[in-house]
Amino acid sequence: MPDTVVSLQDTRLSLSGNAGMVDILKGIDLQVTRGETLGLVGPSGSGKSSLLMLVGGLDRATGGQVRVLGHDLTSMGEDALARLRRQHMGVVFQSFHLIPTMTALENVATPLELAGRRDAFDRAEAELEAIGLADRARHYPAQLSGGEQQRVALARAAAPRPDILLADEPTGNLDGDTGEAIMELLFGLRDRHGSTLILVTHAPDLAARCDRVVRLVDGRLSDAAVQDAAE
Amino acid sequence: MSLTVAARIARRELRGGLRGFRVFLACLALGVAAIAAVGSVRQSIETGLQQEGATLLGGDAEIQLTYRFASDEERTWIDDNASAVSEIVDFRSMAVVTRDGETERGLTQVKGVDAAYPLLGEVRLDPAMPLAQALNGTQDLPGAAMDPVLVARLGIAVGDRFRLGTQDFVLTAALIREPDDAGGGFGLGPRTLVRTEALQSSGLLAPGTLFASAYRMTVAAGTDMARLETQATGALGGSGLRWRDSRNGAPGVGEFVDRLGAFLVLVGLAGLVVGGVGVAAAVRSYLSEKTGVIATLKTLGATTHTIFLAYALQIAALTGIGIVLGLVLGALAPLALAPVIEARLPLPAVFGIHPAPLAEAALYGVLAAALFTLWPLARTEQVRAAALFRGAATSRLLLPRWPYLLALALLLAALVGAAAWLSGLARLTLWSAAGMTAAFVILIVVAAGLRRLSRRLARSRAVRGRSALRMALGSVGGPGSEAGSVVLSLGLGLTVLAAIGQIDANLRGAIARDLPKVAPSYFVVDIQTDQLDPLLTGLRADQQVSRVETAPMLRGVISRINGRPAAEVAGEHWVLQGDRGITYSAAPPNGTQVTAGQWWDEDYSGPPQVSFAAEEAAEMGLQLGDRITINVLGRDIEAAITSLRNVDFSTAGIGFILSMNPAALAGAPHSHIATIYAQPEAEARLLSQIGNAYPNITMIRVRDAIARIGEVLRGIAAATTYGALATLVTGFIVLIGAAAAGERARTYEAAVLKTLGATRRAILLNFALRSAIFGLAAGVVAIAAGGLAGWGVMTFVMETEFSFEPVSALAVVTGGALTTLAAGLGFAWRPLSARPARVLRARE
Ligand SMILES: Nc1ncnc2c1ncn2[C@@H]1O[C@H](COP(=O)(O)OP(=O)(O)OP(=O)(O)O)[C@@H](O)[C@H]1O
Ligand SMILES: [Mg+2]
Repeated sequence: MPDTVVSLQDTRLSLSGNAGMVDILKGIDLQVTRGETLGLVGPSGSGKSSLLMLVGGLDRATGGQVRVLGHDLTSMGEDALARLRRQHMGVVFQSFHLIPTMTALENVATPLELAGRRDAFDRAEAELEAIGLADRARHYPAQLSGGEQQRVALARAAAPRPDILLADEPTGNLDGDTGEAIMELLFGLRDRHGSTLILVTHAPDLAARCDRVVRLVDGRLSDAAVQDAAE
Repeated sequence: MSLTVAARIARRELRGGLRGFRVFLACLALGVAAIAAVGSVRQSIETGLQQEGATLLGGDAEIQLTYRFASDEERTWIDDNASAVSEIVDFRSMAVVTRDGETERGLTQVKGVDAAYPLLGEVRLDPAMPLAQALNGTQDLPGAAMDPVLVARLGIAVGDRFRLGTQDFVLTAALIREPDDAGGGFGLGPRTLVRTEALQSSGLLAPGTLFASAYRMTVAAGTDMARLETQATGALGGSGLRWRDSRNGAPGVGEFVDRLGAFLVLVGLAGLVVGGVGVAAAVRSYLSEKTGVIATLKTLGATTHTIFLAYALQIAALTGIGIVLGLVLGALAPLALAPVIEARLPLPAVFGIHPAPLAEAALYGVLAAALFTLWPLARTEQVRAAALFRGAATSRLLLPRWPYLLALALLLAALVGAAAWLSGLARLTLWSAAGMTAAFVILIVVAAGLRRLSRRLARSRAVRGRSALRMALGSVGGPGSEAGSVVLSLGLGLTVLAAIGQIDANLRGAIARDLPKVAPSYFVVDIQTDQLDPLLTGLRADQQVSRVETAPMLRGVISRINGRPAAEVAGEHWVLQGDRGITYSAAPPNGTQVTAGQWWDEDYSGPPQVSFAAEEAAEMGLQLGDRITINVLGRDIEAAITSLRNVDFSTAGIGFILSMNPAALAGAPHSHIATIYAQPEAEARLLSQIGNAYPNITMIRVRDAIARIGEVLRGIAAATTYGALATLVTGFIVLIGAAAAGERARTYEAAVLKTLGATRRAILLNFALRSAIFGLAAGVVAIAAGGLAGWGVMTFVMETEFSFEPVSALAVVTGGALTTLAAGLGFAWRPLSARPARVLRARE
């Protein structure tokens, strides 16, 4: 099996906005290999989040191909996509998106439960312990600080040991020090589980820690800016 | 100062339009409309009865006598005091048709009239012709007009002959409408209208037969009716006459309409209360959306007072709109439905805009809206400026400060007080209010308990691995739970419906149950004394007749108790309403249970004695030794109560309130009644045999009579059910409102769950389970509370047995659960079909 886990070919996305159709992604070609950490940078509104959503199967491309772990996402039904995510993908958002009616523990346990793990709650507890939030397990999101919420979200995404972690500016809403801590956690998880990580970020120092960085400008990958950060 | 600021803020806030207030407006408008509509119909009928009072009565005033015509002295007084007089006789009989050797018989209420009839209004016939022409008949036979129902039953046509007693008549027309038929559908048999003269040789007006005569009078305009009544009773008093005049043309009917209307208004009020829950929920969700605005206003220096005022003004404006909508709807609906309603009413109704019931509905609307919005409004005080920086609002149930609590208590008292006062059914209103309040409190407690239990269950090991159930329980128990609003609104709605279901089923059950196991086949009246022996001999020889009971019967009115007018002593007890059957017997009949005192000796011939029904005596406050004066055929008989006995009226057998010693009634002309217990297959044969042998005798099929009573009771039950419909619809709107209010939260939740790998099936299951949990909790409370309410109404209002009706209860709960499920699933469509990316992006 080739080690390409994400493969985009001429991927396009158009959305109907107030002023008619808007082309958001205008033909993206991109390969991500197993274990790689890819940084996705670009100006605001260039389509970074949109691209990440497509890779996560949370939105449907209007043109081209999106292949993840050998599956053609464009031809899959919504439930099939959900099952794929359940087994292989974890997503972290800028604004956390914890379920407000569930406690921290329940939030972390949910994807494990959906994946049919009998020990979902024990695993979730361990996961929270690992990020130092064991004493907050029974709190609801509204009772947690922003940094704590993001750590819970991170634990939730990482708990099922996904092959691919997608993170969309996970520190964007947090102050410097807290953001730093979250990033340490994120990279730690990647290292421990050997996940592939696609990270959307504005911060140059974070981009610098990625194996490779691609730059998105106005819905296209800007060749000039593609760089190999590592080697 | 703060008022103008508040008004300005309110205006700006309402600029956004009324879109978010559809549920608020619908709940309020519907509740007000239902009450306004019921009140308007009631007022229409009452106005109709008032305006048509004289026509309904058939004259300006009427003197009614039982069992006899007016004496010469009475007739003279009547002629002297009236500008026109019309004499009417009214009695039950059998119309008989002989065709090809077969006889067909039908029970009918015969009305004999004179040439002056009708004094007021007009008789409508088919084919159309003057009444005189119809009643003159042909050269050799008098004419008659007959209710089309009876015409059809007898299978005759205009020009055919039929017989009343021993007199033949020719049918000249179908009787479409009598002007003086206030009783209309309430009589026991369809009408036959003839000339009284023509009845002379029918043998039906013999002394002792059960007939009533009435003397309708028209008097000079402006006559003081009250004075005329006093004069009449003064001049003719004590001779058992009954007086009615146009001040109240159809007393029984008017009262019936009034009480039924008041009861339906109460049912409508229950609907308004259910709507109130929706109103409260709408205001709460509106204000929680405004938390940010309120917090900002506070940071800018607005006082809590100004903010409260600003939002109270908005709610007041919306309440005004809702009430006006409801009033317009409630006033117009009866107008639009007037032709339909009129066609079904045996009563005149003057449809129009009646301000009084509309004002009553508006009052209830204002009070209910204030009651249900004050608490949510009071919560604006509890919003801290810091809420701006702490996303979610607290979901804790905080009690408002004491002035608000006091205001709430006053509003509740005002609402209940107004309903008790205006409906005239104070006891029922207070009980209903207590019941509703109890249900309310129980539901709040149950909702809180449900949240606790769900939270605990969600944590328990038992649900681990069942993610849909765990998530459903978690969301029922978690913050922002819909448990409070859904369980409350659904529970209240279902409770009202369950209660009405129980009452309805029990009413119907009572009709069937109270039908005795061995009901007599026939109730026979007007048996002449000389006919009694041959009749009994024949019946006792009949193999298919199992039992015959007979008793002599007279009719009389209890006019005085211990020398005082009876009404002063025992008020409006039903025994005093109109005339009663009286029997006599030397020895206590078989099976008589004397509970106090002693039956007279067989050959007793001293001063009159009477044995009184024990239960009724107790209700009227009568005791052994009391003296009652009974007017029989114009003669006053004063008798001492010397014994009390149990009388069972539920067996449809012979039961008399009053039984006297034979000598007391000696010489008074009278007839006998009998009950015949026969095998069903013999009934038709008996009818024709006895009918042929004794043409004057009237046989009432007990089954038919019971069926008619059942019909009336079922009509009441149906009206109640229609009234409850408003509650059902309101409850439905409240549910939809609750489901819609939760849609945004569910859409978001579904998007996140999809991100975590949940399939649509799993999400749907989660949502469905929540609805099921709510439906179940509300349903269980509804069954318990509804059953309790049903028991209360049946036991204390209807005074009959209550038995829990599982079918009706199950139907209500299943319906409720399915409705919640449907509403929940209907509003799950958007959450399920939305792409997660779009939903999540909107929240970034
Ligand atoms: N539902 C929508 N309909 C139409 N246009 C949309 C919709 N959602 C987003 N867009 C547009 O798509 C473009 C790309 O959005 P996207 O969120 O992917 O940008 P981004 O690179 O993540 O920006 P940022 O760095 O600010 O997060 C933007 O111009 C945005 O206005
Ligand atoms: Mg973005």
